Amino acid sequence: MWFKNILLGISILFSALGCSGQKVDSKPTITIWHWMTDRDATFQDLAKKYETLTGVKVNFELYAPSDAYSQKIRAAAQGINLPDVFGILGEKRDFASFIKAGHILDLTSYMEANNNGWKNSFFPKALAVNEFAAGNSYGINPGTYGVPVDIMTIQMVYNKKLFTQLGLNPSRPPKTLQEFLDIGPKIQAAGMQGLVSGWGEVWMIDCLANDYAFNIMGKDKVMATIRGQVPYTDPDWVKVFSIFKQMQDSGVLAKGLVTMINKSAEQLFANEKAVFAFNGSWCVNVYKGMNPNLEYGAILPPQASDKYPMSIWGGAGSSFMVNARSKNKEEAIKFLVWLTGQDQQAYLSRATNNLPANKNCLAKIPEVLAQFARGMEYATHPNVWGVSEFSLVIEAFDRGIQSIIIGEKTPEQVADEVQKVKERELNKRRAK
Amino acid sequence: MMNSFYYKGKKIVVNTLIHLFLISVAITCLYPLLWMIVSSLKTQDMIFKDISLIPHQFRLENYVLAWKEGGFGGNFFNSIIYTVSVVFGIVIISSMAAYAFSRLRFAGSKFLFIMFMAAMMIPIPGSFVALYVLLNKLHLRNTPIGYILCMINVGLSTSIFLLKTFFDKMPKELEDAARIDGCSKIGIWWHVALPLAKPVLAVVIVFNALAVWNEYILALIIFDNRKFMPLQVALQSFQGEFVTNYPLLMAGLTITALPIILVYLFMQKYIIKGVTQGAVVG
Repeated sequence: MWFKNILLGISILFSALGCSGQKVDSKPTITIWHWMTDRDATFQDLAKKYETLTGVKVNFELYAPSDAYSQKIRAAAQGINLPDVFGILGEKRDFASFIKAGHILDLTSYMEANNNGWKNSFFPKALAVNEFAAGNSYGINPGTYGVPVDIMTIQMVYNKKLFTQLGLNPSRPPKTLQEFLDIGPKIQAAGMQGLVSGWGEVWMIDCLANDYAFNIMGKDKVMATIRGQVPYTDPDWVKVFSIFKQMQDSGVLAKGLVTMINKSAEQLFANEKAVFAFNGSWCVNVYKGMNPNLEYGAILPPQASDKYPMSIWGGAGSSFMVNARSKNKEEAIKFLVWLTGQDQQAYLSRATNNLPANKNCLAKIPEVLAQFARGMEYATHPNVWGVSEFSLVIEAFDRGIQSIIIGEKTPEQVADEVQKVKERELNKRRAK
Repeated sequence: MMNSFYYKGKKIVVNTLIHLFLISVAITCLYPLLWMIVSSLKTQDMIFKDISLIPHQFRLENYVLAWKEGGFGGNFFNSIIYTVSVVFGIVIISSMAAYAFSRLRFAGSKFLFIMFMAAMMIPIPGSFVALYVLLNKLHLRNTPIGYILCMINVGLSTSIFLLKTFFDKMPKELEDAARIDGCSKIGIWWHVALPLAKPVLAVVIVFNALAVWNEYILALIIFDNRKFMPLQVALQSFQGEFVTNYPLLMAGLTITALPIILVYLFMQKYIIKGVTQGAVVG
């Protein structure tokens, strides 16, 4: 008897839990899945505003952390349960596979309507991440498949208060490498920390080194190097490696920089213990949380050469895609057009301290965010280069720079070693 | 006399070393908990500026904020329902299955048992997409019942293994006596096997309760509706891509950890008995 009762109890419990009634609503409702915890409250505010304006309800549904979100999106794609709007985290090939499977709507015609009105409102480099060019290697029809919601750039920041303490003009940060190096001895004399960054996570070294490579030899020569047409032993590359030695010798780099994780670097800069930091635009939000009174400015890395413009890594931070199978796709596009409009973008930027994807709203956001956003003019990213370096070469390159900073190797030695790895990888590829 | 001093001295030295070792292990276990509680009482900027273990100001409102902003009310209830249902389901099914594998002779029993053991080798995240598609086809996706069934399935293999190991060692004479008294197979399982397996069941309950209580990835994948999400999903809302709201996260973690610590304390004596009886060894 007891056993039957247990089974009956379980059945009742399961039946009760299994019931999920569906409400019938005459108004269209757009469902958006995202992973951006820090933007969720602002998205909800904007959704309410949009509902007041149009009567269209927008449900922003947060699924964090990003790893779990990615799994959910993949699972939902398999089950054809994707929402009206969603974002894809991952590489361009993942993006392409979703398009090929028919999950993502081609937005080109919407972008180009009204004399490219929507398209022209974005930073072109932010849109580039969501575009597929003619003859792309993924076999995707050329067009725009995503809407950037915000952007990201990686630049340098400097502490204005510490600048004043060093006898420097806080409204005139260093523009050239020499000016930057000249600050090193002053930092040493004052017993402060110089440049901090997450160079323990080596990709950030790679980022700054590539910035200088573009500045010293130009994009074409960097691309030729990746294609194997120019060796890393070329004098221009040795110059790039030498910059790190010069920085170390001048004392402008913080102690322990090569093993520093970005969270520690952010903490040092936010607590006014470091004069400079090399960080992504997300740092504005991080610093605000750690020290709301921090006074700082964002600058491009001081340029080492006049020959080519300084370059930084940047592009779309987060993008939304429209479900090609959604019955609400037209309404979803209308909402995305509204969301990426000037006022909404400025509101989103002010509330979340992220950079707006709309290039026309910089006057409406805090100066430090505008400084970061203006950097988009100089932005590039390996994802849009069309060629990619061997991972072993990148590793040898980044580890080599670490060795230069700790005085273990000379720039010439590192250039030789990187070139050897490059030749080995090229030979392997030729042998295939 | 010398020998007595030698042995006493040796005992003191050995005991001191053992205690120093145990104290250091205890500190490494307790320090993160202490840091969690202390950080839950600080402000965001104080966490990064003030590393002391006694905050200058106790911000108890972090707990209220965490509860409200994380939407803990409904999620807390969901987690309790999921944990109780899953653990109950696992205890009933795994104890019956383990008893059957241990005592009943039927065709394919060894093969079935090996299949259950093989399931232990499959990493859970590897089966998420498959589970999602299966639940979708059964129209159980985005329903608590779907999640409960998945979690019961996840916990079965290890629990069956633990219980079968115990039942294999159980004297058969006890069952014979029960049979003479007129007990059916189910009666023996209920009146003899289960009461004797209390220490192992305690291990099964705590291990599975911990697993369900701390699970969030499967819940996040299966549920679209926030009202069905467990407590751990609510915690994720304090953790951003680049910025983490540490005071609220730590307050949330403290709230989340309390029930499971209570379960452990409540069942501590059974767990120790279960472990020392070899319940968790092959």
